Amino acid sequence: MRKRSDKTLGESLRDHGLSRRGFLKLCAATASLMALPPSMAPAIAAALEQARRPSVIWLSFQECTGCTESLTRAHAPTLEDLILDFISLDYHHTLQAASGEAAEAARLQAMDENRGQYLVIVDGSIPGPDANPGFSTVAGHSNYSILMETVEHAAAVIAVGTCAAFGGLPQARPNPTGAMSVMDLVRDKPVINVPGCPPIPMVITGVIAHYLVFGRLPELDGYGRPLAFYGQSIHDRCYRRPFYDKGLFAESFDDEGAKQGWCLYRLGCKGPTTYNACATMKWNDGTSWPVEAGHPCLGCSEPQFWDAGGFYEPVSVPLTLGPATLLGAGAAGAVVGGGLAALSRKKGRDAAATRQPVTVDELEQKL
Amino acid sequence: MSELTLERGLAALRAEIDAPTAAFFSSCVHCGLCAQACPFYLETGDPKYTPILKLEPLRRVWENEFTLWGRIKGLLGLQKKVTDEMLAEWEELVYDSCSLCGRCSVVCPVGNDLYAMIRKTREGMVQSGHAPEGLISASVRAITTGSPMGLQWKTLAVQIQHVESSSGLTVPVDREGAEYLVLLSSMEIINFPEYLEAITKIFDHAGISWTLSTQCFEATNAGIQIGNKDIAAELVERVVAAAETLRVSKVISPECGHAYTAIRWEGPNLIGRPYPFRVFHIIEVLDELRAAGRIKTEGKEDDRLSLHDPCNLARKSGVIQQQRNLMALVAENFVDLKEHGKYQWCCGAGGGVSSNERAEELKMAAFKRKKAQIEEVAPERMVTMCATCRTQLEEGLEAFNMEIPVVGLTEMIAEHLVERD
Ligand code: SF4
Ligand code: SF4
Ligand code: SF4
Ligand code: SF4
Repeated sequence: MRKRSDKTLGESLRDHGLSRRGFLKLCAATASLMALPPSMAPAIAAALEQARRPSVIWLSFQECTGCTESLTRAHAPTLEDLILDFISLDYHHTLQAASGEAAEAARLQAMDENRGQYLVIVDGSIPGPDANPGFSTVAGHSNYSILMETVEHAAAVIAVGTCAAFGGLPQARPNPTGAMSVMDLVRDKPVINVPGCPPIPMVITGVIAHYLVFGRLPELDGYGRPLAFYGQSIHDRCYRRPFYDKGLFAESFDDEGAKQGWCLYRLGCKGPTTYNACATMKWNDGTSWPVEAGHPCLGCSEPQFWDAGGFYEPVSVPLTLGPATLLGAGAAGAVVGGGLAALSRKKGRDAAATRQPVTVDELEQKL
Repeated sequence: MSELTLERGLAALRAEIDAPTAAFFSSCVHCGLCAQACPFYLETGDPKYTPILKLEPLRRVWENEFTLWGRIKGLLGLQKKVTDEMLAEWEELVYDSCSLCGRCSVVCPVGNDLYAMIRKTREGMVQSGHAPEGLISASVRAITTGSPMGLQWKTLAVQIQHVESSSGLTVPVDREGAEYLVLLSSMEIINFPEYLEAITKIFDHAGISWTLSTQCFEATNAGIQIGNKDIAAELVERVVAAAETLRVSKVISPECGHAYTAIRWEGPNLIGRPYPFRVFHIIEVLDELRAAGRIKTEGKEDDRLSLHDPCNLARKSGVIQQQRNLMALVAENFVDLKEHGKYQWCCGAGGGVSSNERAEELKMAAFKRKKAQIEEVAPERMVTMCATCRTQLEEGLEAFNMEIPVVGLTEMIAEHLVERD
């Protein structure tokens, strides 16, 4: 008997009655989602058609289920709807029918049958190894021990939501449960962060689709986030940006400026320091997004966003971020700069050669 | 005779542009957080003091000459050129309104090192002849007399005599093979001679072999403050030569924050080779001695004390815990300012601001941040470990009629040493 996950994706989708045309439409959507040219769609179709559905184990720890809700509240017939066909979701607390020992057995079986191949998706943060293990348990096991046991033979780990990616709300000061992020704990496996409170559903599926199509994980930024979705700041793509550039700011939520749609910076918008796809992909099937609904961006896809100053404080400086994270964030910029500098390396050499040393006599003439 | 011109200024700015600079300019998101971090902007409320704006001359040279877009603009005649008038206008922004405190650099969300770029911009300013008089004179004096204040060894010799007669100890001079070479700043020699006395006592107490050098006793670096590599390198070379003559393995920087970063971090890059010795701030040395149990103290200060962390020491060099360990040794009632350590606020006088008379008013404006911080915790005395910070704190508190004395940490430690019998 063939294992469940042995079915190709094409077979599985056809089992679900998806037409060829529907499938191609899906591939085109996937291409645009991953910022690939539409000409890639046939290649994606071919790859997806043949792709084996990878076994996925979804672990939920200290979370609010918002991330799973985000994923399942998606609109048909889009990727989100089909995600459950893309993958063989072998274990998921909230979604699976099995309970009790049967549920745990499903996890162990999936791990056993797909050793080294399966993906682990985590939502929620984890009380660290030094914390009281009783703060959060499943079937009598601490979150920490379940996570470590499950990732041991995983191919990669996807941390979905800000809690899993960066600690999120559970980690907000004073962090009573000693909550830690997945990347704090898992060091020897690729960890992809898909932060957001919750993350945009298409971003979750986009990452999985990328893995299926290309057989590898997408390119990440300094915070382990896929660049395709987190490569630009909210601010850079915000439709209120022209007002920001003109210095037209709403001063309260109901003043004339707010009614004219002016920039929300002074009302606490964290758009300039937040990297996410909200401004381009929007929420609820492209209906709207927070800034469009008149609310400043909270910066939910950034580390420590709960502790980075008040949500309604204009320009709160996230002094809690350490220099290492700041450097990490700057690294993406440095790559850009490196490229530019390479272009003008000759220019730099010429410049150094034309610089003349300064002497005391020359300085004295200026006195 | 050659002279400083716009062309030389532009050439110097061009020479300063490297990959990080290009990355910084292309990644600025114009969020304005750096303004919120700068005491000069916050206390004046004048947007022209936004740190990223202080870099406009450097940014224009980069855009015009190093980017494709700039070159296209050039073809279309849309380039905004850097002119002599522009540099004259920016002189105040680059020198008077920046203490090189580096606070803007730590808050920039994309990691732009604004302070380092202001330092770079000053290179172009000097070469185009747009540096403040006070800094030009200090640099000229540093090169010609060995001290930015024009101080000679004979002045120091008088202070040494005072120290020796009041302490009954010998101040070692030109002692070859000593472990530590102690460097001073002119400011310490003139304003705070008690510092030298304190070191003499502590080192005697701990049994440290040390020396001063008649060849070079001053390590403040006017070249760094004005922003010129050539002068800065020459001043560093003098320290290296003195240390080599005396064959010391360790050099102690003056209690001057910028002298410390100059000699410790910039020095080897300026002269293009590693030092044959290690550099410490006195606070680092004292904390090591404390940890090794070589400093025995008795009694504690019981009034409420707080601490001003010098930017160069805390933010730029990570010396933060050491001074607190030392405070704990001698203070019973210590309270930290709310923002301290890495994110403390600058006193407003560093980076050459205090040597630039024209900047007096701005310097006092920037001090208001510190003042507000001090008022918040209401200490009876302030403690610090940088001569420039100490002078500024004293002057500032006096200007605002606040009767809070300022003491040096080293001196305070010296006062509590266990007497030997
Ligand atoms: S509302 Fe926020 S995201 Fe939009 S332009 Fe203003 S600052 Fe940027
Ligand atoms: S608008 Fe900002 S806070 Fe809201 S979801 Fe997007 S990134 Fe998160
Ligand atoms: S803080 Fe950084 S990104 Fe923001 S305006 Fe200043 S330099 Fe630009
Ligand atoms: S280094 Fe300090 S004084 Fe200078 S611009 Fe930055 S914050 Fe302001």
